[in-house]
Amino acid sequence: MLVEVAKTIELGPGGVKAVNVNEKEILLCNCDGNVYAVDRRCGHMNAPLDFGTLEGRYLTCPMHSVQFDVTTGEALNLPLYHYSGEETEDGRETKIIDNYPEHMGALFSHIKVCNIQTYPVRVEGDSIKIDI
Amino acid sequence: MNIESRKKALRYMFQKVIEPLGYKFSPDEELVNFLLEQEVLLEQKHGIPYCPCQGLTKKRSEDMKIVCPCIPFHRKHFDMMKRCWCGLYVHKDVTNPDELKQIPLYKLKRAKNVS
Repeated sequence: MLVEVAKTIELGPGGVKAVNVNEKEILLCNCDGNVYAVDRRCGHMNAPLDFGTLEGRYLTCPMHSVQFDVTTGEALNLPLYHYSGEETEDGRETKIIDNYPEHMGALFSHIKVCNIQTYPVRVEGDSIKIDI
Repeated sequence: MNIESRKKALRYMFQKVIEPLGYKFSPDEELVNFLLEQEVLLEQKHGIPYCPCQGLTKKRSEDMKIVCPCIPFHRKHFDMMKRCWCGLYVHKDVTNPDELKQIPLYKLKRAKNVS
């Protein structure tokens, strides 16, 4: 079923827009004039992808920098965990006392990165519709 | 993770970085494909697409200087060779990358002092 989710004026080239349709969170992406619709939530840890960045057709999650191809929904890389150690002048890494980042890193390594779903988009006049 | 898809993505994003620096991907497509594939494998292992032709030191501040494209950290050296260390990138005016040699920085410096 085609549902109007936005107007074309709301989504400039290179822009993204999060919309809710039938209780689903969808992200519209304008890749150089072509509009694509994907899940708004990251296939890794559910972070909102509209806070990430869109470069061409590659959408980067703001949380762990997993990238998705918005034309296919394919996850392209593994998460990049933020560097939490500090380095002394001689290059040795010091650990944070409570070991929390290491503990979380070990847990995160068991979380699989899934592809995100894509939705067919049709632009009719000034209206963006998705098939959902 | 699909290696070919990731290679395409890295190629797209690296292009945006190297273009303003005056570099382009080497015209040697076979070499470019091989090197990008190695970077994808390094990224899968370490989380970061390090240069496949330079060794990791286990010292983060040093290793971050060989994250591809590492041109800004070795600009003088690469400009003298008209290519990056791997040969993945060459100066925009280069048409035959086979003519360019991989020359260590100390040799370039020595040659400059002599002449």
